[in-house]
Amino acid sequence: MSTLLLRLVLLAGAGALGLLALGPVVLRGQVDAFYGRFTGPPAGSLVLGTSRAAQGIQPAILTARLGGQFEGPLLNYAFTLTHSPYGPAYLRSIGRKLRPEVRNGLFIVAVDPWSLSLTGPEGVFPEDNSFIGQLHQVSQNPNLPYLTRYQTKPLYRLLLDYATATERLHPDGWLEVNIGTDSTQVRARTARKLLDYRLLAASQHLSAGRLQALRQTIALLRQHGRVVLVRLPVGPSLLQLEQAYQPGFDQLMRQTAASLAVPYLDYSARPYATTDGNHLQRAASTAFSQQLATDLRTLPVWQ
Amino acid sequence: MLFNSLHFLVFFPIVVGLYYGLPARWRGPLLLLASYYFYMSWRAVYALLLLATTLLDYYSGYRMSQLPTKRARRPYLYLSLASNLGTLFVFKYFNFFRDGVGQLAAAVHVPFAAGPALGLLLPVGVSFYTFQSVGYIIDVYQGRLAAERNFGRFALFVAFFPQLVAGPIERGGHMLPQFRRVHAFDYARIVSGLRLMAWGLFKKVVVADRLALLVNPVFNNPRQHPEGPLLVLATLAFTFQIYGDFSGYTDLARGAARVLGFDFNLNFRQPYLSASVPEFWRRWHISLSSWFRDYLYIPLGGSRVGQFRAYGNLLAVFLISGLWHGANWTFLVWGGLHGGYLVVSTWARPWRERLAQLTGLAARPALRHGLGVLLTFTLVAYAWIFFRANNLGDAIFISRHLLSGWQNLHGRQVATLLLEFSQHYRPELAVAFLGVVVMLVVEYFGRNRSLQLWVAAQPFTTRWVGYVGLALLILYLGIFNSTSFIYFQF
Repeated sequence: MSTLLLRLVLLAGAGALGLLALGPVVLRGQVDAFYGRFTGPPAGSLVLGTSRAAQGIQPAILTARLGGQFEGPLLNYAFTLTHSPYGPAYLRSIGRKLRPEVRNGLFIVAVDPWSLSLTGPEGVFPEDNSFIGQLHQVSQNPNLPYLTRYQTKPLYRLLLDYATATERLHPDGWLEVNIGTDSTQVRARTARKLLDYRLLAASQHLSAGRLQALRQTIALLRQHGRVVLVRLPVGPSLLQLEQAYQPGFDQLMRQTAASLAVPYLDYSARPYATTDGNHLQRAASTAFSQQLATDLRTLPVWQ
Repeated sequence: MLFNSLHFLVFFPIVVGLYYGLPARWRGPLLLLASYYFYMSWRAVYALLLLATTLLDYYSGYRMSQLPTKRARRPYLYLSLASNLGTLFVFKYFNFFRDGVGQLAAAVHVPFAAGPALGLLLPVGVSFYTFQSVGYIIDVYQGRLAAERNFGRFALFVAFFPQLVAGPIERGGHMLPQFRRVHAFDYARIVSGLRLMAWGLFKKVVVADRLALLVNPVFNNPRQHPEGPLLVLATLAFTFQIYGDFSGYTDLARGAARVLGFDFNLNFRQPYLSASVPEFWRRWHISLSSWFRDYLYIPLGGSRVGQFRAYGNLLAVFLISGLWHGANWTFLVWGGLHGGYLVVSTWARPWRERLAQLTGLAARPALRHGLGVLLTFTLVAYAWIFFRANNLGDAIFISRHLLSGWQNLHGRQVATLLLEFSQHYRPELAVAFLGVVVMLVVEYFGRNRSLQLWVAAQPFTTRWVGYVGLALLILYLGIFNSTSFIYFQF
């Protein structure tokens, strides 16, 4: 029996040694497109929204241009349409990630019709079953609850993805995506994306529950600093679809912002280059973040 | 509880540790307790169903053992069959037959009030443990097996956790004597069981679950993939997925049993190397095919009746086998296809021989065997379309489009097609391919020799490099977030 146990321990040890190769990847938060946001300390300022904001807004640029005027660190805490549309789960997760004592934070709340829409009946939010709804520890490194429950890639892909760096999550939460940007590739991706969003438009509705959660999110954040509602640039075809899907969306956002006394910046029709009609290219994301910083400085709330 | 879950990784060593640590008289109760815990971790309330059918089968077997004639024993046989098959019917087939009768009535314009459907969840493993119990009861009825007097031992025979939810379907005559024996700690046997478990885990998490990533998008939405090459690739991928999944499960089950000192029968013997469909069924899911042979085909008269009756028996057995897999027309067609293959294969035997003489294949047995393997593989793979498709409409769509779109292949890069197939994860495709190759090479290597003996004969260093390598392959390449084994649903 003791020989068997000894040898099993040896085998487990060898396996554990083999897993050490993953150490640097995991400790640097490069497990997937989300993990790193749950390994840093609680934030003083946040960028919120879906993958558009995750890829489109670079906290480092905002910090460099506006640094010292808000409490850091500024973290991009935007995920995807599946995980972080506005709703009770995202609101709770934001509450966990935010340092409670912050009073001079900066909060960029990115909105679009999809992040306020819902498939199915009101009150049933699919993201409740994802890490956004279920992960309670959002600031620990390594984040074992996330790794054991939500890391779904086979382990070799952690190393491979790290080496190829198609996606790289920066420590400030910005998701840098390095994929081909020649016009043929972009056109093909845009066509596919448009098809996906047409299906979404056919099956979703603007949700009263999500709008209510957006208002609650803004109300919460206002207690901690300045809040700005932002609609990010998208490609013309997707914008056209969004206008057909929710023609009154812009007006609704203006009213929401006005009622909560926060500014609303609409960049949706600005001509920034995208990878797929939906997400900004890396260079466009830099340019947009610079423009956003410049515009923020001119806002009355900043004076 | 799945064999490839963290839960099992904790459960199994505790059970093994306690099993060998406890005095012999407590080991049976421990295994029974562990088996019920294993089953209840899925849905506790259905353990009552398992217990109820076990009690009834034990009672029937016990009473039969006290009666001298078959005629006297018959009521207890019927009682047990009614309870087992009734359970299966209520939980698995009621809604299927209700819908079928409704559709038939509508087709012939007869008014029919079907009544509400039953909203019951299928108890996991119900088809396996009821068949095992039915086999036991028939054996006792026939006088081939003495009824088990010890209820705990009988309950363990029905519920033994390594084979409870997906077989192999064992026989009382093989397992009950093993439950009576004391199994001493045997280092070599335990290591051999662990090796088998590791190999089963590799086939499941590295090969089968990875192939599922390629198969599911196509089979779940075939109309979005109407190109023949893609459909053929998905069908081939499923052919290896189901083998990796089910034979992987079986190896895990056999390995776990072996660690505890028990031997299960072999369930797979390189089935895709079969040179005919009848041979395939002697190598695939052997415990089920032999069950059908012994408890249905032979009692129906088998092949000792007239030619057409024998064909009818074959077809009936395979249609029922199809239905055993699931209450869906797709399984019925799958069973019917295999039944049809067997009938044609039997009927055409003289013609095949004549053809072999004419073409000169009779003088080249290796070539003839190779062609037989290729043809059998193609027929079996085609039938898997019906097994995997979500409904009959999808299966027919896939069948009809298998040969379309090939003319465009030359104008299109094969790499693009493969990339589309792999859902844009090129490495996954490569790993899937390599996994299948490794699985097939190892299984081919083991066709004429015991791999266990071969491994055990290697020098210590070679073995350990192999163990650590396999462990790392499983850790790094394994997909651990999948749902259950395919055969759990049956």
